[in-house]
Amino acid sequence: MKPVEFTLNNITKYYGPLHVIDNISLTVETNKIVAFLGPSGCGKTTLFSIIAGLKAPDQGLVSGMGGKAISYLFQEPRLLDWLTVAQNLAFVLEEHIPRSAVPASVKAALEQMEIGAVHDTYPRKLSGGQRQRVAMARALAYPSQLLLMDEPFKSLDLTLKWSLIDRLHQSWAAAPRTVLLVTHDPKEAVLLADEVYVLSPKPAVIKSHHLISLPRTERKPDALPFLQLEQQIIAALI
Amino acid sequence: MKSSTYKNRLITGFSLLTFLLLWALAAARIGKEIILPNPLVTMAQLWRLLTSGLFWAHLGATLGRGLLGFTLAFLAGLACGLLSGRCPTFKTFFHLWLTVIRSTPSMALILLALIWFKANAVTLFVTFLVVFPLITQNVMEGLKQIDPELEEMARLYQVSFRRRIRRLYLPAIMPYLATGAAAGLGITWKVMIAAEVMAYPQLGIGTRMDTARTYLETAEVFAWTVVIIAISLFFDRILDTLLRKKLLYWE
Repeated sequence: MKPVEFTLNNITKYYGPLHVIDNISLTVETNKIVAFLGPSGCGKTTLFSIIAGLKAPDQGLVSGMGGKAISYLFQEPRLLDWLTVAQNLAFVLEEHIPRSAVPASVKAALEQMEIGAVHDTYPRKLSGGQRQRVAMARALAYPSQLLLMDEPFKSLDLTLKWSLIDRLHQSWAAAPRTVLLVTHDPKEAVLLADEVYVLSPKPAVIKSHHLISLPRTERKPDALPFLQLEQQIIAALI
Repeated sequence: MKSSTYKNRLITGFSLLTFLLLWALAAARIGKEIILPNPLVTMAQLWRLLTSGLFWAHLGATLGRGLLGFTLAFLAGLACGLLSGRCPTFKTFFHLWLTVIRSTPSMALILLALIWFKANAVTLFVTFLVVFPLITQNVMEGLKQIDPELEEMARLYQVSFRRRIRRLYLPAIMPYLATGAAAGLGITWKVMIAAEVMAYPQLGIGTRMDTARTYLETAEVFAWTVVIIAISLFFDRILDTLLRKKLLYWE
């Protein structure tokens, strides 16, 4: 039996009369990358909010999440414009790791994202891709047990997206933690995840669950096994 | 960039010269110092004021009252603005008061204050009531503009409330606070002079201006007006360099 990060038991959520999530149960193992796929507006973000404890379910139970530190990566970078890149990272780090360790940690995180040069730059001076990399550096530098990513690559061009996915992999391999990813792109899911949950349109139920056992080194988007997995997931989505 | 600021300075200089020339021409055409003293006479009168004994006392009294009234209004406005931005009940409750204060003509405030208070208090009271809603509103506006997504980010990363105030809320409302302060301080001098003219405190530029008017010393009225404009420009410039530029370094 592998160690469990958290469990969802029969989660159901309504917004007024709108039924958003219907009776979702699942278990996420520690240090796995789990992707949630579904049509736009199917309740993926709501599910995340429930996992993170931002919203309470109307029925059901989340167990195993109490007191856990969570890193977030959003669609938008959400940086403070009046702080430099390094200060933005320090803003979330300083109360959670020893103060003396912050500068080195910030530097390492930025270098890992290959944006060490913008250490003292203000966010407004960066490109969209650079800002999203800063946000990713912040999420990875933060000492969390879980990393939640809500469509973090949505507005990025393909080259940047793949390079970030690659960085994320490297970082995760060096220091594993549990990662949850919300996306609507099957390719992203197959590239990154150990497991994929496909959700239905609203109210969201789990339509299918896929284990991706293909070794990460062999996940080439133009290779046959990859394409087969992608096809399976697309078929489940439609 | 540099040549364009040089060019702008030239244009500003030319604009000032044109103004002085038109003023001098008009004064020459009218030919009566009591109606319109020319710029030179005004400057000479200004020099006489500067070298006379009580100039600095009057200037200091007006400046002191203005700054005191402004500071009180600024602090109260900041507190009420923050409270309104954080607490919807207070905002709804306070909205009516704010609207009433804002809509009351400053002359009406002055007249009422004359009935209720002594001269010094009249000027403070009026300045306070004119500037206070301006600051409050700017603080509220600043809080409204804070991106809820940034607040959510800070909460999710478990940043403490104190740290959020210092690093998130205050920097975010600073531009609005600076704009409010600049506008508030600008209006302070106008209202202060009006209140002084009506209330006649022992020391004060407004008192001097009205006395000069009574004795038909039009040049002195003009000279004091120049002083007030200078005060206004001086503080506007200070605020500009101190606040707006320093606070928006990241733009």
